[in-house]
Amino acid sequence: MAADAADKADAGVDRPDAPDTALGRKLKLLSLWHLVGAAVSVMGILLARRSGDIELPWMPRYALQGFFSFAFVAHMASAYGVGARTRWARPLSLAVNYLLTLVAASATLHLFNAYQALGDFGEGLYKAFLPFVVICVGLLWVLLSGQMLAHRPTAVGPLRLRQAGWGLAGIASVWFVVKADPSGLISSIGETLTRPLALGAIALTFCAALATRLMWSRAAAKHFGSTRRVDEALSGLAFLSPNLLGFFIFFAFPLLFSLWVSFFDWDTTNTTRDFIGLENYIRALSLDFANSAQSNAGTEVLKSDYQVLANLDWFGQHWVVGARDVEFWLSLKNITVFLVLAVPLAVLPALVLSSVLASKLPGMKVFRTIYFVPSVAGVIGVSIVWGQMFDATIGWINYILDLLGISEAGQGRGWLTQPDTALLSMVIVFAWMSFGFNTVLYLAGHQAISKELYEAAEIDGANTWQIFRRITVPQLRNTTFYVVITTSILALQLFDIVWILARPIAGGPNFATQTPVLTLYQEAFTNNRQGYASALAWVLFVIIFSFTLFQFRRQRSEVSAGGVS
Amino acid sequence: MAEVTFRSVSKQYEGGGPKAVHDLELDIKDGEFMVLVGPSGCGKSTALRMIAGLEEITEGELRIGDRLVNDVPPGDRDIAMVFQNYALYPHMTVRENIGFALEVAKVKKAEIKARTEEAAEMLGLTEYLDRLPKALSGGQRQRVAMGRAIVRSPQVFLMDEPLSNLDAKLRVQMRSEIIQIQKRLGTTMIYVTHDQIEAMTMGHRVAVMRLGVLQQVAHPQELYQRPANLFVAAFIGSPAMNLINVTLDGTAERPTANFAGHTLAIGGGAIERYPQIVDRIGSSVVLGLRPEHFSMEGDFDLPEDQILEFEIELAEAMGAEAHLHIMLDVPVVELDGQPLSAEDGDEILTSTTKIIARIDGVHYVTSGDSLRLGVKTHLAHFFDPDTGLPLS
Amino acid sequence: MSVRRKGPRATIVRIVTYLCLVSVAVIVVFPFVVAFATSTKNSQDIFNYPPTLIPKEPQTIDPTEVALPDVDADADEPLPLYAFPDSDTQFALVDNDVSVAEFRPLDDVDRIIRLDVTSGEKTGEVVIIDGAEEDIFAIEVDGTTVEAYRSRLTSGGQFVSLDDPTDVRVELVNVVEPLQQFGPRLENFEEVLIEKDFGRSLTNTVLVTIAVVSGQILTSILGGYAFARIKFKGSGPLFLLYLGSVMVPFVVLIIPLFQLMLQVGWLDNLSALIIPFMFSAYGTFLMRQFFISIPIEIEEAALLDNASRWKILWRIMVPLARPATATLATFGFLYAWNSFFWPLVIINSGNPDGRVLSLALSTLGGRSSTDLNLVFAGAMVAMAPPILVFLFAQRYFVENSASSGLK
Repeated sequence: MAADAADKADAGVDRPDAPDTALGRKLKLLSLWHLVGAAVSVMGILLARRSGDIELPWMPRYALQGFFSFAFVAHMASAYGVGARTRWARPLSLAVNYLLTLVAASATLHLFNAYQALGDFGEGLYKAFLPFVVICVGLLWVLLSGQMLAHRPTAVGPLRLRQAGWGLAGIASVWFVVKADPSGLISSIGETLTRPLALGAIALTFCAALATRLMWSRAAAKHFGSTRRVDEALSGLAFLSPNLLGFFIFFAFPLLFSLWVSFFDWDTTNTTRDFIGLENYIRALSLDFANSAQSNAGTEVLKSDYQVLANLDWFGQHWVVGARDVEFWLSLKNITVFLVLAVPLAVLPALVLSSVLASKLPGMKVFRTIYFVPSVAGVIGVSIVWGQMFDATIGWINYILDLLGISEAGQGRGWLTQPDTALLSMVIVFAWMSFGFNTVLYLAGHQAISKELYEAAEIDGANTWQIFRRITVPQLRNTTFYVVITTSILALQLFDIVWILARPIAGGPNFATQTPVLTLYQEAFTNNRQGYASALAWVLFVIIFSFTLFQFRRQRSEVSAGGVS
Repeated sequence: MAEVTFRSVSKQYEGGGPKAVHDLELDIKDGEFMVLVGPSGCGKSTALRMIAGLEEITEGELRIGDRLVNDVPPGDRDIAMVFQNYALYPHMTVRENIGFALEVAKVKKAEIKARTEEAAEMLGLTEYLDRLPKALSGGQRQRVAMGRAIVRSPQVFLMDEPLSNLDAKLRVQMRSEIIQIQKRLGTTMIYVTHDQIEAMTMGHRVAVMRLGVLQQVAHPQELYQRPANLFVAAFIGSPAMNLINVTLDGTAERPTANFAGHTLAIGGGAIERYPQIVDRIGSSVVLGLRPEHFSMEGDFDLPEDQILEFEIELAEAMGAEAHLHIMLDVPVVELDGQPLSAEDGDEILTSTTKIIARIDGVHYVTSGDSLRLGVKTHLAHFFDPDTGLPLS
Repeated sequence: MSVRRKGPRATIVRIVTYLCLVSVAVIVVFPFVVAFATSTKNSQDIFNYPPTLIPKEPQTIDPTEVALPDVDADADEPLPLYAFPDSDTQFALVDNDVSVAEFRPLDDVDRIIRLDVTSGEKTGEVVIIDGAEEDIFAIEVDGTTVEAYRSRLTSGGQFVSLDDPTDVRVELVNVVEPLQQFGPRLENFEEVLIEKDFGRSLTNTVLVTIAVVSGQILTSILGGYAFARIKFKGSGPLFLLYLGSVMVPFVVLIIPLFQLMLQVGWLDNLSALIIPFMFSAYGTFLMRQFFISIPIEIEEAALLDNASRWKILWRIMVPLARPATATLATFGFLYAWNSFFWPLVIINSGNPDGRVLSLALSTLGGRSSTDLNLVFAGAMVAMAPPILVFLFAQRYFVENSASSGLK
């Protein structure tokens, strides 16, 4: 009999009468809190609309209004559910309280200017950099000693080291605070504490956090008849939540917003937004072909708003190609040329080198490491160095060519200033930066080739070149595919190198180095046409994405067809 | 210490398909050493994991002690498990591995130390306490896994094929050690294996499972002497029981089993145990003869109608005994449309049945000989060829 | 390829192979050598042609060591040394602003002789040069007296021979060859850090990098574990979404992100460089792949030991995941340290306090093209840490970047 009653309890069947335990009292408070929360949500919606001293820009305003609307409904429902002890009350209550905690905490930080302070912390760090370094050293000692103590918790040396580490970090921390001078920060915090909104936000955060904790407890889980499945799902979402929030706020939302904006004509200086549908895309992609009697005809033969992109002579006819956005089309042309030149230059040496590096000769690892360094050094530094090397008068490239007798002294080429060679110079820089990384990718592919293939070929008497051509290269087909695609995707997004190297202006001589991303940047931040720039971004995205998709599909089909032998 | 009870427990995986465990009814007594045995895919591991809480129960009720544990998380069930691959924490020493559960339970450090060392002592691991798992042999790792389970003093021990990764000699040694530990601690132990020899030697009771269905649960001897169906009969025993499709003939006083040109009289003991034989005269049934039911003519006093002449396909001299392989021109016995082989993994010629006879080793027999063997049919078993049930 | 042959031919092949590898290595390393060398040069040296790798500074001598007849001993500064083509001795430049007279001999009008303005005596005669009357001077040249006219007055330097204090010459300073010695100018680094605000950029970059890497590691571990081991509805499709996000180029997001930063007031602030990047879809993917590879029985054992998921993650999974974490940290470091495009968009170019190294370097390279040595010193400061971090962490980094790419 008793066992049966206990069964029912554990099975989580809704019981009509709740015991008056500590939990019961807390849950009553919780229901109350939910009602309070609903009221606060209404206040939140109203505040977000127009709140005296704070005029919110529309993104946070809509976000807060949306959130508080959801919160209002959720709080009301939870208040009911907690009282009625329904099964869905716990997940819902957890969701709304958890999110409320996060939102309120965020708002609190914002009201306390914490985000600004984070940036301003840079100044404090600058003043107190030396103590900071010492703190790091101290913590490093602690970490090291932790490693050593891992399996021998009583070893004396590591224990001393750990103490020393903490001591050092402690002293340095005090020094740090002294040098970093947080007085401004402290006074600002004190000031903010006097504002009712700030205090309210703190209180909200606190209560919501408590509510979350209560509902999360095992006792609450039992009370609401939570199954293990639900518990696990909640647990999973909790672990994922910081990640997920970041994903939505900083990726998904901007992505969709970007698409939406691309349908508008948005002049950011006037903050006007007019819906124009696909007009941006049409403008970007419009081309016009016109026949002309003369060669080198100009805009007169093209439709209005079109400018001359190129003059072509085909089959004895003079053609004028016009575009509405000449810069964009030029950039497409440039990037295509760049792609065609840079990708083989970045991939083929990697293929050959990797074959050599894959052998068991001594020192291969050293070379591999060396080759990889350009990929990690940072684009800007590297570009500046190469900029110097390409210099017409004092650059190393010209000097070496001179030494090799290829060009004459004093006749140095203006690599970056001549339209013919500007893009080529960037091809060289790009390839130089990328081939090491690609070599490593190829090396991984080499590991997948079974040794027996080589042994069989040796027995068959094949020489090195034949082995390379007939065995290595075909076996690396998948890797090659992957390397080509990734290099291409990087090449299509060329910007940093251009920004540093292009002279005299970013587009380079005669727009020889105008790239799509550069065009985008200029449209968005120099011309302030962010609607149009967004459209350009999406066009570029489609181009890049088709590369990615192509690779993805091909890899899929290779795998399913058993492509890797 | 607790009983474990399954009441109509089923497990169905999402996405449909046959049930992994079908309507299991099983009572495991407090302090009992219960072995779950069966071929792979029979549901024994699933059942074990359901007790552990690592598999969800779709239907039915599972209790440990008095407590319904369907929805209780694994950590709350007060059980310990030894995994097939030991599942030791690779980055922790033996000591830390054993002590981990106690640490989680916030037991005091001194007590953790004491209990860890006690468990290590019981398993002969004391000198390895500060080593990492990768520095241990397979047998030592297995012991650490056991130590980890023992130190928690749980209500139930679960073991999922713990010996299958060890070599034969070690396996035999560990078997006896496990038995001793269980005896010493007196804790309920539920042990899963696919090896029926292990099952027979270790368990107080053995539960035979097939395709998610419990076939029979009984003391090993009972499984051997009184198999509940054709599958259990074929599964238990090594070498396996010989199963032959025969036609019953003869009289009610002296029925015969006819097969492949032989007429074999059936002894009285069999008729007592399988009374339906008499009703089935004229129809086909399955005759089950264990290898030891055969003997050389003369070794055992048998009437003439129980002596048959066979051609020996292969004679294996094992020393104390000899195994004689005999091919009969009878289609192989099937269960659910699949042939039941005499030995696991044999290539089956479905038109021929192979039987194995076990005789005293003193006789010199070579392959190709024709022999007269006596059959102790009073010990034989009889089954219905369609239902697989015994004719009792 | 396995090269197992022996014999003289194989040795030649090997030598050639190594030669090729070394030449490629030279191509790789050379720009860095140039950067390093240039970063230690003084600013004049850079504009020489042909370019040199070895930083040089002018050879000098302490003024007290020079016997200086009839010259001001105002010099506390070391005196630079020069060489004259007709003499083996070194000459010290004692005064670089003396009046110099250029004389041209009447019998060799193309030759220019530069002498102190007081030298030469007017003979009283005149000569017509280019329609103008010029006085004829008698000047001392190589011991003989020559008649010449004075073509120009200019300013130049007064040089004294170190061996012979009486050998005093005047000459235009930039015509004489300065003597150089090996002299790396390490003050470049100090200058760039302090005067050019590079130091602030450095600490800003450190701040941003540490914050971003910590954030990424934390969120990726948590998220990766959730995807790998916790069953919740929608985890499959959600993970595919994450994977898909890796394929979206950042370019598409800059405009909306910019607007977002503007509206929450993070424009021109380091927070905009930190907070949006504290999560990483790629990092989550990496950690998930790794966690999946850990045998599930280990977790089940821990669940049976009544450990909570949080405890399992931090006590068991993470210690086992060190290679993956190290890879993630390295990737994150390189990404955060070297990022340029987003800082360019967000940080106002007029705000030197908010810059990170890549930005500062870009501005430096554009603005101070006359102080190239400082620019290169800055480039070294920007490039050295990622290279060092890479060299240190490369055993995790290289293998993992390759294999994870091919999955």
